[in-house]
Amino acid sequence: MRIAFVGKGGAGKSTIVGTFARLLARTGRDVVAVDSDPMPGLSFALGLPVIERPIPDDAVVEKAEGTEGPRYRLRPGLDATAALQAYGALGADGVRLLSFGKTRGDWGDIIRGQHAWSQILDELPHDRFDLIGDLPGGTRQPMTGWSKYADVIAIVVEPTAKSFATARRLSSLRDSKWAYHHVVAVANRISEPADTVTVAQRSGLRVVGAMPFDEGVASADRLGMAPLDGAPDGPFVAAVAALVEYCVARFDGSLKSQNPIKEAVA
Amino acid sequence: MLGSANFGDVLVIADLEAGIGTLTRLDAQSIDVVVVVVEPTPRSIDVAQRAVELATAREQGRLIVVANRVTGAADVDRVAAGLPGCEIVAVPHDPAIMDADRRGVSPLDSAPDSPAVIALIGLASRLVSS
Ligand SMILES: Nc1ncnc2c1ncn2[C@@H]1O[C@H](COP(=O)(O)OP(=O)(O)OP(=O)(O)O)[C@@H](O)[C@H]1O
Ligand SMILES: [Mg+2]
Repeated sequence: MRIAFVGKGGAGKSTIVGTFARLLARTGRDVVAVDSDPMPGLSFALGLPVIERPIPDDAVVEKAEGTEGPRYRLRPGLDATAALQAYGALGADGVRLLSFGKTRGDWGDIIRGQHAWSQILDELPHDRFDLIGDLPGGTRQPMTGWSKYADVIAIVVEPTAKSFATARRLSSLRDSKWAYHHVVAVANRISEPADTVTVAQRSGLRVVGAMPFDEGVASADRLGMAPLDGAPDGPFVAAVAALVEYCVARFDGSLKSQNPIKEAVA
Repeated sequence: MLGSANFGDVLVIADLEAGIGTLTRLDAQSIDVVVVVVEPTPRSIDVAQRAVELATAREQGRLIVVANRVTGAADVDRVAAGLPGCEIVAVPHDPAIMDADRRGVSPLDSAPDSPAVIALIGLASRLVSS
């Protein structure tokens, strides 16, 4: 299963992705948490420190002058699975965190890592790993193909006007050339069941999960603790567990690889 | 536009994208003050440290840290410990803000006397008075 979580800044993507990935891994699957945010966030939910440069410069080689293709490729002999195993940090519950690194303002620092990261995602076998993606807030990355490894786009929506507006823009991913199989909504920070209905109506999307506002999650975060460590019995974790169950039942298997026509479009 | 337009006496307030992307593209002459908004969590403080480092290295002007959604002194202490030496303005966690957001209205209109709005009015007067 390959799901990417997108949505407005602060909507709860990293908190949901970290929890989702860990609960899925607890069922015995090989789970990769895919991080494309150049700012820290997801690692905390996986019990990992901020890793500035997870992929060393010598993981890639620069293309020769005058030749075609991307500027950097994984060095010869290093395939996607081996690269994931070497550079994906092993987090809580056995989740692997695949990240290209974090920046302090000089984007040149992470460009090699970004090339390696993209190639790993392009070439990872579809049947072995579940990919759960966490994108930075907003529309920029999703609209430019940073989540193209996914089959399913899950838009995290809070019951606020600003969040609905972002969700409506993101829902155009349904018609994108990356051929996503499903574009759905996950409601977060809801305080009453009617909020979920509002999210469905105002976003125009099918809502497949609804996470309540959970004071325990907010307090745990202040201490640097993930929901699963700081508020494991709270309503947030229970709702993410229900979402995992739903996704396994509905979205399991490798959808893109089952559909060669859509694959070709992608 | 921020870098090239002559705004004269007009006060310009820019709400930038999350992270430090836009800050890396702004030169020192185009801004007088950088306000770094941070929540009292380790990961938010980590991002804020990057913004403070960058704004300081580039001499982008006066720096103010807004500790948002604070629930007490421990939260402010956490932010202060992570960002030593910074001028910090605390804005309390306030249900009135969330309520306004859910209704799609401005908290300044719907809850002008709420603690968070009062703190933000304090921030605004601090900025214009100097
Ligand atoms: N259901 C919830 N109940 C309580 N607090 C929550 C809930 N969901 C998220 N939070 C809190 O909201 C804050 C933002 O969450 P998070 O960092 O996961 O958002 P994000 O969408 O990844 O943000 P960004 O766009 O900056 O990457 C965190 O402090 C988190 O603990
Ligand atoms: Mg995030």
